[in-house]
Amino acid sequence: MLSRVADSLYWMSRYIERADGILRMLKINYASSQDELHEFSWKPVLLIFTYMEEEQASAISNHSREVLQYMVTGKENPNSVLNMVTHARENARSVQDHITKELWQCLNDFYHTIRDERLAESLQREDPVTVLDVLIKQGLLYYGTTDITMARGEGYAFMNIGKLLERGVQSADILDIKFSDLQYDFTKTDTMYWKYLLLSISGYELYLKTYRSGFEAKNVVEQIVLNNDFPRSVIYSINQLHRYFERLKSDGNAEGFRKIDFMIGKIKSKVKYSTVETIMEEGLHAYLNTVKEELYEVANALDQYYFAYS
Amino acid sequence: MQASELLNTYYVDTGTWDEMYADAAVREQYKGVVDFMQQMSIEELNKKEEMARGLFMSQGITFTVYSSGEGIEKIFPFDIIPRIITAAEWIFIEKGIKQRLKTLNLFLKDVYNDQFILKDGIVPIEMIYSCPHYLREMHGFPVPHDIYVHIAGIDLIRNNDGSFYILEDNLRTPSGVSYMLENREISKRLFPDLLPKNNVRTVTEYPNILHKNLVTLSPRQISNPTIVVLTPGIYNSAYFEHTTLARLMGVELVEGRDLVVDNHRVYMKTTAGLQQVDVIYRRVDDEFLDPLVFNPGSMLGVAGIMSAYRKGNVAIVNAVGNGVADDKAIYTYLPAMIKYYLNEEPVLKNVPTYQLGSTDEKEYVFENMNKMVVKKTNESGGYGMLMGHTASDEEISKYKLEILKDPRQYIAQPIISLSSSPCYINGTLQPRRVDLRPYALCGPDGIQIVPGGLTRVALKKGSLVVNSSQGGGSKDTWVLAI
Repeated sequence: MLSRVADSLYWMSRYIERADGILRMLKINYASSQDELHEFSWKPVLLIFTYMEEEQASAISNHSREVLQYMVTGKENPNSVLNMVTHARENARSVQDHITKELWQCLNDFYHTIRDERLAESLQREDPVTVLDVLIKQGLLYYGTTDITMARGEGYAFMNIGKLLERGVQSADILDIKFSDLQYDFTKTDTMYWKYLLLSISGYELYLKTYRSGFEAKNVVEQIVLNNDFPRSVIYSINQLHRYFERLKSDGNAEGFRKIDFMIGKIKSKVKYSTVETIMEEGLHAYLNTVKEELYEVANALDQYYFAYS
Repeated sequence: MQASELLNTYYVDTGTWDEMYADAAVREQYKGVVDFMQQMSIEELNKKEEMARGLFMSQGITFTVYSSGEGIEKIFPFDIIPRIITAAEWIFIEKGIKQRLKTLNLFLKDVYNDQFILKDGIVPIEMIYSCPHYLREMHGFPVPHDIYVHIAGIDLIRNNDGSFYILEDNLRTPSGVSYMLENREISKRLFPDLLPKNNVRTVTEYPNILHKNLVTLSPRQISNPTIVVLTPGIYNSAYFEHTTLARLMGVELVEGRDLVVDNHRVYMKTTAGLQQVDVIYRRVDDEFLDPLVFNPGSMLGVAGIMSAYRKGNVAIVNAVGNGVADDKAIYTYLPAMIKYYLNEEPVLKNVPTYQLGSTDEKEYVFENMNKMVVKKTNESGGYGMLMGHTASDEEISKYKLEILKDPRQYIAQPIISLSSSPCYINGTLQPRRVDLRPYALCGPDGIQIVPGGLTRVALKKGSLVVNSSQGGGSKDTWVLAI
């Protein structure tokens, strides 16, 4: 497979994963903002998912509509869903001969949906959840179409690598920012707070089934970092990342494969042999930071050994 | 309102051949379509038009216009009513194009090797050496199977007596074939069962024939040569076509930056290292192909590709330097060439053409500017031309001054009226002028022409310019089997 094509498939997939993450998170945070007695703050969301400066974020953090507009259809925000989807489509456009026609049409529809001016207007005037649901559904269509139509070759492996790398980083980010919001105070037991955090990454039901004792910060950390069955957990993302990476083993690029395999193996072991207790001992922020940094190193190595074409 | 009333309001411009109507009666070949339309209501037809637009949009059959930093998706306008060609007409067209293409390949071989045609004085030497598309780099180099033109998109028009004329030979990187294929797919959705009922011949073989021809050109005798389509990239207006062709042939779509030349061989950069490339169907113009030989500022090409080509380590399709044969001034000599190489009379006629490089002809053209269309010999896409009958006196005198700077670069042709074909526009049926571009493929086994082509239509009322850059659209083109 052409290096450029692998690169485009990888980024197409990363961008959609990021867009999907943002949409889900926005939906739940919006619901949460309607539920709270005191003023709901969008600040942690703005800090994780945009490049906004702290002061700027504080300025709009109490205005849901403004935040939604900026994060969904904001052209000036490089991390807005609109821009993510546009980038994903541009990447797809340059590799149309490597994705199925169905997948291309699906991304193309996603793109036309989010660029529709009526959508931006509804987001301002009508129920935002309806609008977010329309977009989330486009994302689901993308995942379903990928699963059903894409051949299980090298391209599919690169798409999954992009997706899972992005997801691992995103889950670590969400956890980190949410706890920094509490100044890493693990005694806080506000049920609402944890409920919305879990809902935003579709982990609420699983939490209820796993832990019978109500909401505790350390259980939340355990589920998001260490639960093998939770598809958004850090460990799940890394395990799957490794699984898809192993499919790239070839004689042509033995050196690159060996190096990156080692790097992924290292993070995988680190997370696998952690417990909530050892994480707390090391400090949650420091721990998550190491994981994220090592994932970024994997991304850089992929760039160097697989995507370099200029 | 019923669609049957549409036909009652249809009219034919005087002095024009209409594809559907003859003497106020529907031509035989259009009866099936007309019957079908008469059963429809205007609402249904509007719905079909809407559906066509939706299909083009969601399939991304669009080109992007970049303005103020963001891309706007545009559809190449499509008219839902097909253009129909009878079996007899097609046999004639096919015969004419084969003859033409055979001659052009012989001419290119000759002009880049022994130059008999110049020595015998059939084509003046200065015509060749003054042509910027004549490339010395191609001289004395044997291309595989002596084929220079593998893919030709020859433009035909129809005069008011219904006879076909050749307007242009496009032998470099003719585009539009994806629209021939996609327009047909859209027709299948718009008019269920209508195609088989009317015995319309299929066009879907095109990518298979092209692929088969490309495989035979591989310099390495291996079972599975690497074939690529070389595109200038996603910002090119024909990018959709490049991806379509790569996908339908199951070959890699590459950009210049994906390729590298080492020791006169071309490789593509893959995730598993370098892989040798055998055949390149390039959609990059000669000028940008190799920065070491042609335009040094080109970012679209591959440094060293010409040396690999000349060593015979890679096949390039179409051959480099074909521009000398589709130059609009060389066009004039085509009937003489057919006689010279094949000893045959031309099947398809040329439009009478005046060389402004010749003083006598220039004087005649200058006196009759308002009856002429004047074109630059090296421009395509409808750029740089003057339609004498609509231009103002001021425009004409300005254009004359331009011509005088370098008369060789201009030709003039009497205005040919182009046949009209019914189009569905704003709920009415109106005649619009059309041309026809069939696509001919030339391989070692001979020339094959897929029964169909691209019918381009001038959507502006009264316009004779069908180019998409000048407000043209397209129609599905049906060639009937019987």
